[in-house]
Amino acid sequence: MSTPSIAETTQTLRSGFLRSCQAHPDRIALEVAGESLRYGELRDRAAALAATLAQHDCDRESSSGEPAPALTAILGHRSGAAFAGILGALLRGNGYVPLNPTFPPERTRNMLERSQCRAVIIDGQGEKQLDEVLAEIEASLLLILPEREDVSELAARFPKHTVLGAGDLADGDDWSPAPVDPNGIAYLLFTSGSTGVPKGVMVTHRNVVAFLDAMAARYGITPEDRFSQTFELTFDLSVFDLFLAWECGARVCVPSQAQKMLPAKYIQESRITVWFSVPSTGVMMSKLRMLKPDAYPSLRWSLFCGEALPAEIVESWALAAPGSIIENLYGPTELTIACTLYRWDPERSREDCELGLVPIGDPYPAMEVLVVGDDLREVAPGETGELLMTGPQLTPGYWQDPEKTAAAFITPPERDRIHYRTGDRVRRGDGKSPMVYLGRMDNQIKIQGYRVELGEIEAAIRDEAGVEVAIAIGWPVTAAGADSVVVFVSDENLDRADLVARAKARLPSYMAPREIRHIDTFPLNSNGKVDRKALRSLLEAD
Amino acid sequence: METMTVREELRAWILERSGAAPERLSTDDQPILDEGLLSSLDVVEFILFIESLREEEVDIENIEPEVFTNIDTLVEAFFPDEHDGLTP
Repeated sequence: MSTPSIAETTQTLRSGFLRSCQAHPDRIALEVAGESLRYGELRDRAAALAATLAQHDCDRESSSGEPAPALTAILGHRSGAAFAGILGALLRGNGYVPLNPTFPPERTRNMLERSQCRAVIIDGQGEKQLDEVLAEIEASLLLILPEREDVSELAARFPKHTVLGAGDLADGDDWSPAPVDPNGIAYLLFTSGSTGVPKGVMVTHRNVVAFLDAMAARYGITPEDRFSQTFELTFDLSVFDLFLAWECGARVCVPSQAQKMLPAKYIQESRITVWFSVPSTGVMMSKLRMLKPDAYPSLRWSLFCGEALPAEIVESWALAAPGSIIENLYGPTELTIACTLYRWDPERSREDCELGLVPIGDPYPAMEVLVVGDDLREVAPGETGELLMTGPQLTPGYWQDPEKTAAAFITPPERDRIHYRTGDRVRRGDGKSPMVYLGRMDNQIKIQGYRVELGEIEAAIRDEAGVEVAIAIGWPVTAAGADSVVVFVSDENLDRADLVARAKARLPSYMAPREIRHIDTFPLNSNGKVDRKALRSLLEAD
Repeated sequence: METMTVREELRAWILERSGAAPERLSTDDQPILDEGLLSSLDVVEFILFIESLREEEVDIENIEPEVFTNIDTLVEAFFPDEHDGLTP
């Protein structure tokens, strides 16, 4: 199929990909699951999905006839269908909602229902969960399984829904680009919520284009580059790998689950030039003796984001990849992937580190930092406070949750712009020393880079166990965050092993507690609250 | 008390870590990554566990990702003396 000329008048998340398709349709865009897809091929697959969505049109209208949000869900994982599905949603002019088939189905169903998507693109891995995910869905959905030739059995099993397989897809030639609102949602991503319900963060095209422009200008990516793609699609850092690479005509290399177990071999064999991972992957590689000197000569850029970056890991990484520049990126989903960065300088950066952690550095050129005290007024340079930020990457807030949006997106005193309260405690840069991350203001932790509200785990345990109080502690603690969670309960009659198993069925694996411990009486602090530090001391004493 | 075989040790570790019901890993050729019983989140502790069973370090540079396919492939790669042929 020929690639039609596309000159988009507004820049959206798909624009860079479409430009690369025109510039070099025969270059490899994606290596996944043993398959190499050229830009032209990937575009054709996406265009067929976009045309199919348009043909059925139910993605824009609910079963009751009310307008539905312009969103398409992708239930997939490390497959050509999942990546083509994301692009298909965008070519249709919709935003995408990633759903993770490795998450418990109940959680995925909750996200699907709340997003109000009327169409779902599903790969082979996602298909295994369909019975459970669709079990209590009342709406009639369009289910597209591009990897499936024969869907008659599925259609019989799900009569309420319209089921389409590979043979039912529209011709990609039928796709024509419709204008996209740059203020519309590019992707809707659910993150851990402190009350037990995941929050949907709306990221607009304008937000993510601002991010990609900043990154493209900084990193000088060429079509020769090969990007790692280590993140789940439900983790917003995946947007960097995919769309920065595709904007620049580069190649995205997606490791299989097995390859993710051995990242050293994956970097070497895929000849990765742009590495992007959570620091925990570096910690893992260090522990498994994978950071040997000169191990990774192909790397040009080594980027870390998602949790605190230990300096000792960077020092080892610098020796293992001496030809690469190392940067620490920082940013919550609400500020579109990343919004500050710090470049590691082997000569002087050790002095900039605090608590053994690499600074988070300076904001991207168009973003603004405000470090505030309890009164939300700016603290002096060098002082500590909560980090607030604003700028073009500031997202509009939480999906259908004005209350939480109002609490987190505020206009500080004497300011006229809305800022996002990150909840992160930092030391403000003072001209000589860069900004450093010092921890959280609340009970959010990072486990292997995933953002985890301890309150969400506590709510799940309270619910499963029927107890009034359950306290989760990130444990064991690592330099980057925590490896897992231990939950304390005071009811000694609980079957704790069974409770762990039920929690594992309900929460994503990284959030499931490793252990549930009994404690006769919860220690209290001077405010009468449960003393989490005392509980952590109990764990340390073991 | 009977000593567990390497296969039983591996199965017990994976089931304990994943919280999965034993029937999800009732044979040694059942996939452990594809079924979500093991992930890269577990790799450090899993390798350390294997090293404790072997009583020597794993030569991490010379193993292939496919060794994590199932218990048969794990035993073949890390415990060649225990490997008595793949599950039929």
